[in-house]
Amino acid sequence: MGNKQTIFTDEQLDAYQDCTFFTRKEILRLHARYHELAPHLVPMDYTNEPDCKLPLALIVNMPELKENPFRNRIVESFSEDGMGNLSFNEFVDMFSVLSEMAPRELKAIYAFKIYDYNVDNYLCKEDLKKTLNKLTKEELTPEEVDLVCDKTIEEADLDGDNKLSYSDFENMITRAPDFLSTFHIRI
Amino acid sequence: MTSYSHGGFHNPAYHDSETLEIDRRYSRKTDHTNPYAREEVAWRGSNNRTVAEHGSMIQTVSGNDSPYGGWQEENRRGRENIPMGLISTQPGRTPWQNDLNRSTSYSNIDSQYNPSPPGPPPSSITGKSTIRWRGNTMRRMSMFPNTDPAYAAFTENAIKNEMENEEQNLVKELVPLSTRERIQAIQELPMSFEEKKHIRSQVLAFKSSNQSRQCTCFTDCSENVSLFFRRCGYAIRSTKQTLGLWQGTMKEIGGKFGTSVLSYFLFLKWLLMFNIFSFLVNFSFITIPVLVFEPSPNTPANVTFRGLELLTGAGYFRYTVMYYGGYSNETLHGLVDYDMQLSYFFTIAVYMALCVFVLVISATNSFKNNYTPEASASNGAWQLLCSWDFRVTNERAVRQRKNNLRVQLKESLSENSYSEQLTLSVRLKHFGIYLGFWLLSIGLAAGCGASIFFLCRYEEQRTTDSVSWTLAQEAETLVVPFVVSLMNLVVPLFYSLFNKFEHYSSQRRKVYALVLRNVFLRLSILGVLCYHWMNVVSKKYSCWETIVGQSLYRLVIFDFMFLLLGSFFGEFLRNVIGTTLLPSLGVPDFDIARNVLELIYAQTLSWVGIYFSPLLPAIQILKFFILFYLKKVSLTRNCQPPQRTGRAAQMQTAFICLLFFPFFVGSLSIVGYTAWSLTPSTQCGPFKGLNNTFSVVAVWMEELEEIPGADWVIWIYQRVIRSEVFYFLITIIIIIITYMFWQISQGRKELIGILKQQIVNEGKDKSFLLDKLQNLQKPNRSNKRHKQMNTEKHSKRPEDHSSGGPSKSNAMFQALLARQQLEEEEERRSTDGVPVPSDISSSSALTLAMMARQRAEGQEEHFTRVSDQHFSQSSGFAHVTQVTQRSGGQLTDGYYGAPEDLDHPTSSVSSIMMQVMQARQRAEEEDRRQWAPAHPQNQAPSGSSALIQAMLARQQAQNEFDDGY
Repeated sequence: MGNKQTIFTDEQLDAYQDCTFFTRKEILRLHARYHELAPHLVPMDYTNEPDCKLPLALIVNMPELKENPFRNRIVESFSEDGMGNLSFNEFVDMFSVLSEMAPRELKAIYAFKIYDYNVDNYLCKEDLKKTLNKLTKEELTPEEVDLVCDKTIEEADLDGDNKLSYSDFENMITRAPDFLSTFHIRI
Repeated sequence: MTSYSHGGFHNPAYHDSETLEIDRRYSRKTDHTNPYAREEVAWRGSNNRTVAEHGSMIQTVSGNDSPYGGWQEENRRGRENIPMGLISTQPGRTPWQNDLNRSTSYSNIDSQYNPSPPGPPPSSITGKSTIRWRGNTMRRMSMFPNTDPAYAAFTENAIKNEMENEEQNLVKELVPLSTRERIQAIQELPMSFEEKKHIRSQVLAFKSSNQSRQCTCFTDCSENVSLFFRRCGYAIRSTKQTLGLWQGTMKEIGGKFGTSVLSYFLFLKWLLMFNIFSFLVNFSFITIPVLVFEPSPNTPANVTFRGLELLTGAGYFRYTVMYYGGYSNETLHGLVDYDMQLSYFFTIAVYMALCVFVLVISATNSFKNNYTPEASASNGAWQLLCSWDFRVTNERAVRQRKNNLRVQLKESLSENSYSEQLTLSVRLKHFGIYLGFWLLSIGLAAGCGASIFFLCRYEEQRTTDSVSWTLAQEAETLVVPFVVSLMNLVVPLFYSLFNKFEHYSSQRRKVYALVLRNVFLRLSILGVLCYHWMNVVSKKYSCWETIVGQSLYRLVIFDFMFLLLGSFFGEFLRNVIGTTLLPSLGVPDFDIARNVLELIYAQTLSWVGIYFSPLLPAIQILKFFILFYLKKVSLTRNCQPPQRTGRAAQMQTAFICLLFFPFFVGSLSIVGYTAWSLTPSTQCGPFKGLNNTFSVVAVWMEELEEIPGADWVIWIYQRVIRSEVFYFLITIIIIIITYMFWQISQGRKELIGILKQQIVNEGKDKSFLLDKLQNLQKPNRSNKRHKQMNTEKHSKRPEDHSSGGPSKSNAMFQALLARQQLEEEEERRSTDGVPVPSDISSSSALTLAMMARQRAEGQEEHFTRVSDQHFSQSSGFAHVTQVTQRSGGQLTDGYYGAPEDLDHPTSSVSSIMMQVMQARQRAEEEDRRQWAPAHPQNQAPSGSSALIQAMLARQQAQNEFDDGY
């Protein structure tokens, strides 16, 4: 992989370390992973911050994401254009939020975004249906899907608007301590 | 003029009935400064005039001038405030617009349609009062998805200003923080890296500019030093990660078996680290000095290494530093004098204190993180949104997980009906079964304890206190540990069997019942053994601590062997049977509860043994190290992930508490009892010749009395450590503090209840307002249709309005509609007296009316200037309608907000008047134009229709007014 100084300058690495939950070494490893996704596209030299984005299809093929039912949503939520094209910085962002060190609030914010398929800032029934279908390989009958979604909304909806706002979601998350450890992808 | 008025009603202050209640904190301030308040004054001013004219039907243009003037002035003033207005409104508006569009029609193509949220998190999250900057930035970010080009031109500058403001605020908040806090705060900002970097550089620049003003040299230096330390810190973190044991293995296990199984391995690793720490402490403070001064153990001549020692720990090992007996009570003279008595005592004491500390910290931490106030969120919601394990990367595991989840969901759907069907007799039967099995389990545990007791007595009668045992004698000592370990292996199997017959309502209860029974079993066995050691062994043997140490060594070794056997029989054979002989059994699950309990038991042995055999942690390290790989192999070869993805985190908490409370506290009390009350053996060990271990401190104090300057130590010893009053006071204080915290937590509980109620109430308010809105919209729509028909009839020129064609009257419609809305509101208010919603709607309707009117007016001006261009006119109108409609949409959006700042009960009346005036004026102008302009054919009908409408509207308004008052 060569000398690490040729990939990032010290200042860049400091910035990465200050702004994400990764150490210098992990940043370099992330770069290596990013580079290996598309060796001909991603330059080894990042000192002048090249403008390079990888499409969703490539990123989703990482072994860490490959089997994840929400892989497309994860990548889309972290891409600036909403289409799933990730620059290296966004790539780092993604794994920073999914890392062990990220606090619960931050994870919750992005988890909410991932589940919010239609980006309307609410988890409505449609969102939940999509989630459920991804989780169960679409093997539940429509009635069951309906029932489960209704039950979910009924349980988690505090303000009675029949959809889950972020505060509903966060409230639920605080009662599900496992979330902190399960919403985690080790790179 | 046109652009001017654009500015006027795009001033978002008019749409300011914010939707996002959390955001309100920020918008409130701006609301007050926004034109609303002043506008009202202007409206009222004109109101008087209109009312004055109301009676007569004379149409005076001059009457209209003044509201216009006032209005425009307001615009001008309003524009000064625009940036402020934008702050609050932009973020709120756009998401709502998106919401309406998406959820109804565009839900599939939103990715193309929506240029929206790159990094920005949902704007409804904005503002957590605890982390204010987060709220700030998030709100700022949610401004970007501004989809509407009509706004873009106007708001560009404002957005820029706004962004800078927000950023500045954020930077200002970050600057005074310490470096560490600042980094943490930046790391936790929910933004993209680019933005974080920007903020960071700004903060740094700000800081350095601040500092450069102050004295330079020192701050420069300190800056460099802090940077150096930070880099050092990162380097340490980095190396820690590199040194971290089993990173890859952990990832693999997590990927294949998920978090719950991983938690077992994490626990194992934690215990391993803990033992390494214990070993280092004991080895460096107790063993190394002895080894340095007496490298070879003083074994009797006839004792040689025979091999069986590895199992029994007796024989040759008896005289080594492995056990208590291998240490001497001498003061070692070297570079410094090293008092073995003191070092032995204090090492053990400090080690135990550290254990308490570590365990309390981790237990409370775990409790804090994982404690859930109630388990009510147990099923649907949790299963759907929180249960997916993002860690799992194995394809088979993913498939299985999906299957499990599906089954669980189906079960939970059917369980709902099941739980209600339980009759009293069934419940009684269940209760009877519980009782029976509990009695049976406790009886079994007690029986095990009793049999161990008799076995120990039997063994004690057979052995002699000789220097060396024969091989057969040595082998006989293995009977007790063998039986104990066998019981620990077999009895839990019975317990699992019992568990199958019982009907527990939840998986968790089932697991806890099983764990509890196992804990009873192990505690009873350990209790009997300890009783035997303390009361029988301590009186019989000349070097009884070493004998106890040996027993513990044997227990540890046998426990390890049975762990290996357990995973062979429990997992490997079970797998073979499950896959070949009895396929119905299937592949075994990895039983986390049982395995964790085994670890806890193993650790307890090591704690009890720490006094008798200080190097027991070394054995423990080896044991855990091998166990890790064994379990990993056994897991990947034989097991499948647990069917039930229970709440691993809560189980983890339960286990740490279990580790702390019965097991560690038990072993601590045993060690304490030994040190305080039992007489150390007279023949061997560091404490020979003392009444009890603790008196070593008294001896030390006597020595200290001779040294001048150590008075305070003696004073502390006399007055604090030996005085009952001190402990009494400490106890009282702790009780008081506990009581206080308990009270505080009770208060918090109440507060939580109240806040929850408040959320529910807010929700009800919201739905109530929504209902109101929908009710409003319904009559509006029907009215619109009705009116259209009316107009068409009047104008005798059926026209397709929806085509957006030359409908000048459309703008009028808007005004009319708005007015009507107002009227209805007013009516409702006067009849059923619900002030809040009507207030909002009236003022928002007011806004709508204003916009419609102004738009129409602007168009008209435009039209009079270029009166011969009919096309531009029509397109202009199309635009007007469009914009008005949009604003109408926004109005509804705005509705969801709380009704602050909108209490203008009187304005609705006046606005009706205004509407009338406007309509009339417009009609008049139409009229005028009708005679003058270039396309009379086209203009005539719409002009007359406008006139008619104006008349109608006015009349209606009058009626309304009369009704209302």
